[in-house]
Amino acid sequence: MRFINFILLLSIPPICLAHKINIFATVEGNKIYTQSYASDGGKIKGGEIEVYDKSGNKLLSGKTDSLGEFSFVIPKKDDLRIVVIGGMGHRAETIVSADELPEVKKEIAVKVEKNERYKEAPKTETAVIDTTLLERIVERVVDEKIRPVLRLIAEQKQEKIGITEVVGGIGYIIGIVGIIAFFMKRKNNV
Amino acid sequence: MHIAEGVLTVPVLIGGASITVTGTAIGLKKIEYKDMPKIAVLSSAFFVASLIHIPVGPTSAHLILNGLAGIILGWAAFPALLLALFLQAILFQFGGLTTLGVNTATMATSAVFCFLIFKKLVEVQSRFWNFVGGFLTGFLSVLLASFFVAISLALSGEVFMPVAKMIIIVHIPVMIIEGILTGFVILFLKKVKPELL
Repeated sequence: MRFINFILLLSIPPICLAHKINIFATVEGNKIYTQSYASDGGKIKGGEIEVYDKSGNKLLSGKTDSLGEFSFVIPKKDDLRIVVIGGMGHRAETIVSADELPEVKKEIAVKVEKNERYKEAPKTETAVIDTTLLERIVERVVDEKIRPVLRLIAEQKQEKIGITEVVGGIGYIIGIVGIIAFFMKRKNNV
Repeated sequence: MHIAEGVLTVPVLIGGASITVTGTAIGLKKIEYKDMPKIAVLSSAFFVASLIHIPVGPTSAHLILNGLAGIILGWAAFPALLLALFLQAILFQFGGLTTLGVNTATMATSAVFCFLIFKKLVEVQSRFWNFVGGFLTGFLSVLLASFFVAISLALSGEVFMPVAKMIIIVHIPVMIIEGILTGFVILFLKKVKPELL
């Protein structure tokens, strides 16, 4: 029975049970890259991502991959609200404002014309460059190059709980209980 | 098992908050002056417990200790857990201020429920039954809390069965650990400071 439960556990989309999840989003070229992680550093795998515009219309949705990452092409130039839903009551959101986004370019269908003449005439000095194609290639290469940097930034931004907060919290509890006790005592004396 | 902000619907938030307000009022009424140090200690224990992670398969769960707080504090578990959860929301961003009512309700209701049922077992003069009472309190308080969290999520639109199954399965190790822990703490207190119970 426990074995069956364990199999069941492995078959559900992995979620994290930490108490807090975060999402980090940044613009890269014509895409937005997001990374979702839990407060204990675990990545949110298979989390639902939903993207809304300023007026609350759902523009697109998707699922995070095994690294907790999800990238999408910028649907429109607007304040985008990106929400990640990690299941079991976990949710986080972030906003990418319109002024961070580049102008959304109209996608131009790239046609690489098969022109036999170039093959026949290798001596021609002029190379025909399709600017759209070139732009795409550059974008793709830059995306690949910048990805590890983005990952690093996302990891740097993770807030770890420090000993300060823990000790501070215990201090608060003792202090607040102490204050209540003080007033109880006074009431009893009067 | 902290529910984040923006997940639950408003009626569920209000329902949870009203349970918490009622429970806290009863708790504060029952508190006596000599109980105050106990409340501070158990509130702190609960506050720190959720930082202790137990890896379970691909994910992790954390200790809760609501049963231990319940069996020692009784109704005073409501104000104690409310205070701890409030500080967790502020300092760690676990859960949130809007969900404070629901989160306290899920944790403290199960704690007080176990207190009402197993208090007798802890009071009898038998070390075996004391341990059993402690174990059942630790075990069932986590099980009930999982169940209540699943109900709150279901009322806000998630499908009940899969969510409940998932939360409960993930918390099975936590239930066992807390059962054993609570059992030993009860035995220890009976030996050292029986007037605490």
